[in-house]
Amino acid sequence: MKNRYLVGGPITPLLISELMTLGNDDNGAGAVSIFIGKVRDDDVNGNRIKALEYSAYGEMAEKEADAIVKTVKAAFSDVRKVLLVHSTGLVRAGEASLFIMVTSGHRDHSARACRHTLEMVKEKLPVWKKEIF
Amino acid sequence: MAARVTVLYFGAAQQVAGHASEEYAADDTLSLRRQIIERHPGIVRVTFRLALNRNLLKEESLLNENDIIAILPPFEGG
Repeated sequence: MKNRYLVGGPITPLLISELMTLGNDDNGAGAVSIFIGKVRDDDVNGNRIKALEYSAYGEMAEKEADAIVKTVKAAFSDVRKVLLVHSTGLVRAGEASLFIMVTSGHRDHSARACRHTLEMVKEKLPVWKKEIF
Repeated sequence: MAARVTVLYFGAAQQVAGHASEEYAADDTLSLRRQIIERHPGIVRVTFRLALNRNLLKEESLLNENDIIAILPPFEGG
């Protein structure tokens, strides 16, 4: 199966730029909401996190991400496009590991659907992380 | 005869098992759980759900030859 939702390593500024271009080909979309999740350099018992190593159940993640996009589109009638990308592998503190972009005709649905997509990713995407110090 | 199935371990379950996957022979997921715990007693410390052929299980299920069962600790994406 083609891997559409998972990317190896961090979601770089270049990839974000490409995704924004990809999702911005629709002149009927008056609103674009974006969420970018980044790795924090949290202090855990005196040790600072340098990176997170993400792993995923790839085949299931693709299926679940597909279902999330379909669910969000069905729940928010004004939504036109939902882009969702999650990292696997090593992502250093300060780098991005999650990108969500939702376009809609008007602002209300893009903002709410973006938040809803994020919550569904947290709940349904089979992804795990290991802290690297 | 028991079905030969593949078990995939993820997250903390993989660290306990020491493998990404293993083969088992079991009639159903309940029997499979018992065998997994026998082989990897430490796994009782890991909270996990099961997926059968990429679908989350809500209850125990019969198993068929070549099924793929995934051991899924709580998701940590985002």
